[in-house]
Amino acid sequence: MLLLELTKLSKSFGGLQAVKQVDLKINQDEIFGLIGPNGSGKTTIFNLISGALQLTGGSIKFKEEEITHLKPHEICKRGIARTFQIARPFADVTVRKNVMIGALNKAPSVSEADRITDEVLSITNLLDKKDANGKNLTIPERRRLELARSLATKPQLLMLDEPMAGLNPTEIEEMSELLRHIRKMGITIFIIEHVLQAIMSLSDRIAVLNYGEKIAESTPEEIGANHKGVEAYLGEEYFIAGS
Amino acid sequence: MLLPASLLRKTLFVLFVLALLSVPFFIRSDYLLTVLIAALYGAYICVCWNLAAGYTGLFSLGHQAFLGLGAYTSTILYVKYKITPWMGMFAGGMIAAVFAASITFICYRYRVKGMFFAVATLAFGFLLQALFMTWDYVNASTGIWLTLQNKPQDFFFTARVPYYWIICVLLVISLLVTYYLERSRLGYYMVAIREDEDVAESLGVNSSQCKVIVMALSAFLTALGGTFYAQFYLYISPACVLSIEPLISMQVGALVGGSGTLFGPVIGWAFFSFLGEFLRGLPLGGTAVGVISRIIWGLSLLIVIIFLPTGMIGLGRKLISLLPFRHQKIATQEIGSGISPSHFTKNEKKED
Repeated sequence: MLLLELTKLSKSFGGLQAVKQVDLKINQDEIFGLIGPNGSGKTTIFNLISGALQLTGGSIKFKEEEITHLKPHEICKRGIARTFQIARPFADVTVRKNVMIGALNKAPSVSEADRITDEVLSITNLLDKKDANGKNLTIPERRRLELARSLATKPQLLMLDEPMAGLNPTEIEEMSELLRHIRKMGITIFIIEHVLQAIMSLSDRIAVLNYGEKIAESTPEEIGANHKGVEAYLGEEYFIAGS
Repeated sequence: MLLPASLLRKTLFVLFVLALLSVPFFIRSDYLLTVLIAALYGAYICVCWNLAAGYTGLFSLGHQAFLGLGAYTSTILYVKYKITPWMGMFAGGMIAAVFAASITFICYRYRVKGMFFAVATLAFGFLLQALFMTWDYVNASTGIWLTLQNKPQDFFFTARVPYYWIICVLLVISLLVTYYLERSRLGYYMVAIREDEDVAESLGVNSSQCKVIVMALSAFLTALGGTFYAQFYLYISPACVLSIEPLISMQVGALVGGSGTLFGPVIGWAFFSFLGEFLRGLPLGGTAVGVISRIIWGLSLLIVIIFLPTGMIGLGRKLISLLPFRHQKIATQEIGSGISPSHFTKNEKKED
């Protein structure tokens, strides 16, 4: 089933066209990867979908409903959650409270949010850190908290902006495992990632973005096999680093 | 096991209220009661400001305007229309709330945040003061005098004790409001907005709505304090209730005590009011007392901002955590949670 549909999505900042007429379709239960060099507009697309930025053209449909001009909190209520490229935990608040704030999105009461929080903390392996303040976490813990907080909002679509940045190979493997587990819970994942190895093995489909344009969209195998064409845009290092 | 934090706070709260209520049975001196009333009034407005600034990050520099609106509304209604200040108090509260909500909404609408929000509210405070300074209907800069009389139905008492009870009730109400807010959905959202408004929005928090509600509530409570001020001191003017003076009290009390905490503002203001009384007891001239207390205010604010962002409450917590018996408990807890994290959460009730 079609979950998210971007039609001719465009965004310009003054004279700079950051996103040019991008069409994307994400199906339910998919892990959809978005790759591209720095500044190619990946995060801008996330900001447009989540309502943090207003688009200059095109439309966004979620579950066949137009969500183009909704506010970020309304979009979250509809069932789209996102994480940030640079983890932004609530610094002076405990991990538990951080996740509680997300959990209140769908929970009808504080006690129900409490229950969701316990569940999410255990999935993301943060239980023993629940009383630590956000600012006292290590990088991998921050990444997991970022994920936990958006997971607690009970989304149908989870948009992850480089959840593996700054992690070592073991931590990357753990994060991939966690993401597969989240997909099994029935949550569709839309992921931006620079760690190519991870995104290639995780994703069902991948789109490649360059200068705000979608230059390829296919399965990871095909993207990997036909990377010559893509390489011309992205530079050879991009693929060597990943493979 | 650790004494659950919430139980500790509840006990402290009850003890504090009992201590407050028992005061008039022990203290007969009018002087001491007056000092206490002034201290409780100061603590009350600190708690009100803390709701907006400490919990929600709405660093208002215009709260004196809400105080003034409360004081002027009830006084004008009484002097000109013979409406009892008991009613006027709530009218003032509503007017202050409407103003606060409007300013907050306009600021949200035009993306005025953080420091700029502070400056916008400061401008509002100055504007209102300038208006009242020149507005003949409210007696301009001369201000309004009320007569000393014993008319309980009109919020006038010749004795001190009734005023003491009233400010006690107001303070306890403001603390209860804070306490219950902390545990509510809105309370969680307030903290989220203070920490990072964009992230809060992305987690489903309607930040404009929350900010408007909190500012309105904070302004409403502050305005009730304004009416109390008018009825207790029997004189209001733009130079006292609409000046920056009460705002500075709110800030030093809340920030030095610990902003964003339940008891921080009360502890902070208690410190400053006892400091003031102590200085007044020393054989110094009146001017010297004023100057010295200002210097101490400034210094403590500097020390807190640089070294103790969590205020006296934070310092207290740090000291408690350094006690040897606490260390042991924390150690066992860590070992325990290491063995089976899930076991701990299942058995532990929510304490926060």
